[in-house]
Amino acid sequence: MTGIENMSFEDAMRELEATVGKLEHGEATLEESIALYERGAALRKHCDGVLRKAEERVEKITLAANGQPTGTVPVEGL
Amino acid sequence: MTLLYTHPSGFRHVTPPSHPEQVSRLDAVIGALQDMDLDRREAPDAEDEDILRCHPASYLATIRRKVPTDGWAMLDADTYLSAGSLTAARHAVGGVCAAVDAVLAGEGPNAFVAMRPPGHHAERSRAMGFCILNSIAIGAQRALDHHGLDRLAVLDFDVHHGNGTQDLLWSEPRAFFASTHQFPLYPGTGAASERGVYGQIANFPLHSGTDGGPARAIWREICDRVAEWRPQLVLVSAGFDAHADDPLASLVWDDDDFRAISRMICDSATACSAPVVSVLEGGYDLAALGRTTRAHVEVLRETSL
Repeated sequence: MTGIENMSFEDAMRELEATVGKLEHGEATLEESIALYERGAALRKHCDGVLRKAEERVEKITLAANGQPTGTVPVEGL
Repeated sequence: MTLLYTHPSGFRHVTPPSHPEQVSRLDAVIGALQDMDLDRREAPDAEDEDILRCHPASYLATIRRKVPTDGWAMLDADTYLSAGSLTAARHAVGGVCAAVDAVLAGEGPNAFVAMRPPGHHAERSRAMGFCILNSIAIGAQRALDHHGLDRLAVLDFDVHHGNGTQDLLWSEPRAFFASTHQFPLYPGTGAASERGVYGQIANFPLHSGTDGGPARAIWREICDRVAEWRPQLVLVSAGFDAHADDPLASLVWDDDDFRAISRMICDSATACSAPVVSVLEGGYDLAALGRTTRAHVEVLRETSL
């Protein structure tokens, strides 16, 4: 298994999906399953971090009273 | 007085080096109960007739054939047979059956069966997850078919889902089976949607990191269901691996949580005038296993019918 911190989002998501699938379908042994769970939790944390970093400032268009666009403002909290 | 069933064969089911389901687990359990005032009894060998209530003759014959004279035979990636394993598993079954007979005969309000290997992962024709014969399901079936009980409950607080017990009781309308377990984790079963043919099975999957607060609340709910079910016997798959110190899972129950949950189970059984037979399943941190087993058996000891 490779170091998680350097994985791309896509690779980490792919491995996370496979890990969850193994746990949910009983493909891991009893002894392995906790290590697999911990790997899954670390992958999830990595994916969360990548998403947060990549979060773009989303802006919404403001309109004047007559319906004409007047500019943009950042949307917080998305 | 609480009955304690065990047998020296439990020490002769030897697993490969560094295997977590090790002989010293039984040392930890027996050591923790050593100075307690209990009615100590030897777990007898099981009758084939009882084993065959849950496992086909072909399965038993296959296991018998695979027992090695030395070293190990591998049944699945987790589950090994040594020369003494089948004898130990048979005495584990025999202990549960003898405990069921004794409490139903009024010889005590409850019993604890301290044996290994554990049993709750063993399905009808499949050894898995350290388990060879499903002792608790066999005990349940004996209570129903031999003693003619109308209703019993099987309650499983081991951190892993009791897939084998569920498999064996799936279409048994006289048995209410409830389990709390970490999910997702081995063996991958135990979703809340798995309810049995008659809706008589209740699964409560718990997220990693779940502590005793939510666990106690769920056990309160399960015990309410037990009270409605009015069982004549309560069987407990007592695994102690939901403890925070356990290396094979990541729930974070503490010693007091095991005591509180054991108390709720015993109180709900007493309210139905039902005796309790509790059976050792998992628990892999030796210190926590000893302490929590002791706490559990102390609660049994404080319970009268």
